[in-house]
Amino acid sequence: MKKIRRPDIAVIGAGPAGLAAALAAREAGTRDVMLIERDMELGGILPQCIHDGFGSIVFGEALTGPQYAQRYIDKLSRTDIEVKLNTLVLEISPKRRVTAVNAREGIIDIQPKAIVLAMGCRERTRHQILLPGYRPAGVVNAGLAQRYINIEGLMPGRKMVILGSGDIGLIMARRVTLEGAEVAGVFELMDHPGGLTRNVVQCLNDFDIPLHLSHTVTFIHGKKRVEGVSVAEVDGEFKPKMDTERFVGCDTLLLSVGLIPENEISKKAGVELDPVTGGPVVDERMGTSVPGIFSAGNVVNVFDLVDYVSRTAQDAGRGAAEHVRKPVRRKKPVRVLPGENVKYVVPQLVRDTGGDMSLYFRVERPQRSVATQVLAGGEVISRRKAKMVRPPEMIKADISPGDLGDRGKAGPITVEVVSTEE
Amino acid sequence: MTGRAALPREAGVVVIGGGVIGCSIAREVTRYTPDVVVLEKEADVADGTSKANNAEVHSGIGEKHGTLKQKLNVRGNRMYEEFVEGLGVDFKRQGLLIVITPRSLPDRITGRLPIIRKRLLKELVPRLILLSGKRKGIPGQRIVEREEIFRMEPNVTREAIVGVHDPTYGLVSPYKLTIALAEHAIINGAKVFLDTEVTGVNVEGGRVKGVVTDRGEISAPIVVNAAGVFADEVADMAGAGGFKIHPRKGATLIFDKDTTTEYVRGSVAEAKLFAKKKSKGGGGMPTIEGNLQLGPTAIEVDDKNDTSISAGEIEEIFERFHYLLPDFPRRSVIAAFSGVRAPTTDEDFIIGPSEAANGFVNVAGMQSPGLASAPAVAEMVMEILRDLGVPSEHRPGFDPERPTPALFADLDRKGRERLIEEDSRHGHVVCRCEQVTEADVVNAIHGIVPATNMDAVKRRTRAGMGRCHGGFCGNRVAAIIARELGIPVTAVTKDGGESRLFAGETKRIRKGSPS
Repeated sequence: MKKIRRPDIAVIGAGPAGLAAALAAREAGTRDVMLIERDMELGGILPQCIHDGFGSIVFGEALTGPQYAQRYIDKLSRTDIEVKLNTLVLEISPKRRVTAVNAREGIIDIQPKAIVLAMGCRERTRHQILLPGYRPAGVVNAGLAQRYINIEGLMPGRKMVILGSGDIGLIMARRVTLEGAEVAGVFELMDHPGGLTRNVVQCLNDFDIPLHLSHTVTFIHGKKRVEGVSVAEVDGEFKPKMDTERFVGCDTLLLSVGLIPENEISKKAGVELDPVTGGPVVDERMGTSVPGIFSAGNVVNVFDLVDYVSRTAQDAGRGAAEHVRKPVRRKKPVRVLPGENVKYVVPQLVRDTGGDMSLYFRVERPQRSVATQVLAGGEVISRRKAKMVRPPEMIKADISPGDLGDRGKAGPITVEVVSTEE
Repeated sequence: MTGRAALPREAGVVVIGGGVIGCSIAREVTRYTPDVVVLEKEADVADGTSKANNAEVHSGIGEKHGTLKQKLNVRGNRMYEEFVEGLGVDFKRQGLLIVITPRSLPDRITGRLPIIRKRLLKELVPRLILLSGKRKGIPGQRIVEREEIFRMEPNVTREAIVGVHDPTYGLVSPYKLTIALAEHAIINGAKVFLDTEVTGVNVEGGRVKGVVTDRGEISAPIVVNAAGVFADEVADMAGAGGFKIHPRKGATLIFDKDTTTEYVRGSVAEAKLFAKKKSKGGGGMPTIEGNLQLGPTAIEVDDKNDTSISAGEIEEIFERFHYLLPDFPRRSVIAAFSGVRAPTTDEDFIIGPSEAANGFVNVAGMQSPGLASAPAVAEMVMEILRDLGVPSEHRPGFDPERPTPALFADLDRKGRERLIEEDSRHGHVVCRCEQVTEADVVNAIHGIVPATNMDAVKRRTRAGMGRCHGGFCGNRVAAIIARELGIPVTAVTKDGGESRLFAGETKRIRKGSPS
């Protein structure tokens, strides 16, 4: 029997969330931090995100993905945090026993005092959206295509149709165009773009790539390789109007149809998940339902900006450090609930109403001239006006102890969007 | 010898088609003579209908009494343990719960007499099923009362009236079985050629002389036609036809393992008596690997290669099985596929020697329960071949065991540690959803029937078959295939032929020079 490793904290995943969590935990004084990464390098998805726009909140400048990651990697290299690359976590037990494997050490047993889950998210596939048609080569998730092109130097095709206008889809429309491929069009099921406005402008409009809202792909043609797709307009219930169906020739269909937090190992560890976010139910320290297991970044919910990923990961890292120092008796939580035109709020629970905290939330539908407000004990404790709110954009509300006072004890905290139009 | 090696000039027996039927026959022949060649037009065995069915080893209860397929089904089912012995393939006799609901009789029967109808459904229908089973020789069936149904399967519809349990029903992975049969045949002297399409059958003076392929000719005194949906065309090449295969598509949805275990324990189907439909109705059942599957549909199509799945079929599956298993997790679909059945006009199997071309044997009309019948089909064909001159004595050199590389994911902790000790590449997991290691992929690529494309690797290892469907492992597996085969990664295909994954390297496209 090999020796069981007993670090103070094990961080699972070394993308932006894992890097920030590990660093925050070490800076908070935790001595033995272990960072476990299944890939051969640090940074998670960032090394393939060679466009800019990362870091405006954390660093106050627009960095590329690799640059953003490098800032954390440089910092990490000046610490004694133990990094295990090419190492996959097979399982976490409810008692926080981590089983991992790599080619060097074989199967490794790790029993940390605290764990930070930072596995990120994965792309939804054609089957999960029940896309009809054949199953040829050339149906590629946009994020995988990004990896092929930016890391491996491989082009998935010459003429593309993109389904879904999430940020990855928009960025890949520009990317493949720059690589000499043609984008026949971007098709979006909703009547509004799925990605950030700046990406619609910079990635589609600037390159004259058409965006077809309220459209979907109705059939994938081609038995061996994609030969084209049928597309159609959809009605109010997202059903294709078959009289609008038409054929678009292409050799590749890129899919940008959503991201799913990766929580298979969280589930096995007994962590309670929120059916709306797909991630763990967390408190303001990103603590999950299992004491000693924290979670950070896109494993909690899919953020729009990496800056928020890093911020929540810092909270998780500090939370884990605190747990290692002295496991605090967890207070009965106050629930944080989504109100009018709010899809969900993270964290879902607040245990300690006496500290600073940030609430992150998304709206259900676009709305003009609004105020987003946080209510506690029936009173508005934070209010902010906005010209426009849109589902792709995460909204953050910072709450200080003074705002909340004793009101948090009176009942749930609610976040809502109200119209400011007369 | 396999793959694209040069074809032999002659062979004792040529089997056309590397599906489960062709490979079952070839393996059976090798018990008596090693002189058998299998020709498969796709880049892998099991690449047609065999890869896309519901993995059910039926008991035979659904077949019309007295038909050839009913007899071969019941016999084939009984033979299964012996059939898979030594192959290294899992077969699980997990039983089937047949649920009788108010829909189990068509409306034309007592549709307007609710009280009588209810009694028929509760009292008569289960006994009819038992009686039918007894007549067909299916052992062990029993009636399951309503309460027990819910104890066995808590998520079955509350409208369930009574049930019948059929313990003989089993599950097997159809493509793993086919690959194993092909490899077992090869170990015992058979040759399997991939990417080799038969374009003609030579017949002289009423005797078969051999086959013409796109890669050359092979002369042979015996040719077995196990060409699946193309069996009518191959038969016509020998002038031994006269039957027509009309392709019938079946679509199936596969669900995430996680939700499966929460949702269904065994296999469940809804009884449908006196229905007018031709192919069996399917149901909800875990695959041998533990994913819930719903399906299949049955839709007549014109194109024998129509493996598409339409929006209508997807809805039909949900509608049909929503009744039997309400609230099943629609969101957790991870795969949808179609296969094409190969029924003849009279819906029965056609197995027999041709009178027009002596030495030519048709094994046609293969549709469900083809997988369940395969052992009995092979046995029956072997008898025919004996009459045509294939030796009838078991040969002493036959090796009963097919060596199988163990998959990391299938082993317990100790087994996994041993694998890593033997090959450290077993410590490198390339597919996280199914926990497939680099060594697993390498073993598949260098297997007895080599896996030379992404789908072939997937069928052997499950890499890319999980919930992310290759999002994480796709590039890794492609790179390993390229490295092991010594080809550029741009030449790697999804499923052989024109199914290349990449158009070329970046920056080269503009110059119009794909690598």
